[in-house]
Amino acid sequence: MASVPMEHALVLAAVLFALGLAGLLVRRNIIFMLMCLEIMFNAAGLAFVAAGARWAQADGQVMFMMILTVAAAEVAVGLALLLGFYHHFKTLDADAAEGMRG
Amino acid sequence: MIVQATHTVLFYLIAALALVMALSVVFSRKLLRAAIALMGVLALTAGLYILLGAEFLAGVQVLVYVGGIVVLIVFAIMLTRSSDLLEDQPTLPRALLGAFVGLVFLVMSSAVFFSSPFQADTSGAQVTDDTVAIGRSLLDYGPKGYVLPFEIISLLLLAAAIGGIVIARKIPAPSQPFTSGGDLPGEADFTQPRSQREEA
Repeated sequence: MASVPMEHALVLAAVLFALGLAGLLVRRNIIFMLMCLEIMFNAAGLAFVAAGARWAQADGQVMFMMILTVAAAEVAVGLALLLGFYHHFKTLDADAAEGMRG
Repeated sequence: MIVQATHTVLFYLIAALALVMALSVVFSRKLLRAAIALMGVLALTAGLYILLGAEFLAGVQVLVYVGGIVVLIVFAIMLTRSSDLLEDQPTLPRALLGAFVGLVFLVMSSAVFFSSPFQADTSGAQVTDDTVAIGRSLLDYGPKGYVLPFEIISLLLLAAAIGGIVIARKIPAPSQPFTSGGDLPGEADFTQPRSQREEA
């Protein structure tokens, strides 16, 4: 489908990824950081699907399935860690865990 | 012709809306509002997949991202009562650093992108919108197949699911992460059986 130019879709993916990256660095609440991570995963998948549509190969869509699986695994482990973090520190501020303790 | 023009207009409309939604995820101060905006970004991306000829992926995107991941995040928001834990304004150095890194990433990736020749233009080729091709290449063990990554990623998902359960258990074993023998104030209760804790 040539009506969607791949260049513009890729630029959109790059902008979304950069937005997610900036949000990940700026935010201190862990839930916000997870949401920014999801935006970044989504942008990566969009880039793969756009390129796969341009070259008419199934590879882009296969890679999207891989990204989707990794995102699902990430959110499962991430939310479990988040709940543990919350029970431990009684806050969601990532800066609360800046000290190491042997 | 008209169909093509409509597709192009729809693409830019969806792209602009997705950008606005992503901006509001990054800048919103309210968690639930950000979660709804994240849902908007993901659903709009599903619309983009339809425009790109990947209807199956659009369905999967709605099922897994919108129906699964966003719901999990909303669960996390509600389980942690984090609506009253409003985060304060980020400090200026932190905001500047984030904006700087994001901008540098954007500039570098677009520089690479615009300077690389995408020559293999197959504008006459048909888009592989059929799910059969995806399934075949996922299970193909030839040189262009993905059966090994497919198996690895299945194991990864299984391990992540088990790991999530182990981490989120109510009573961790003494040598688990997030316990240090019970001498931190917040975790004294967790190393004892449920019946012996002072407060739940």
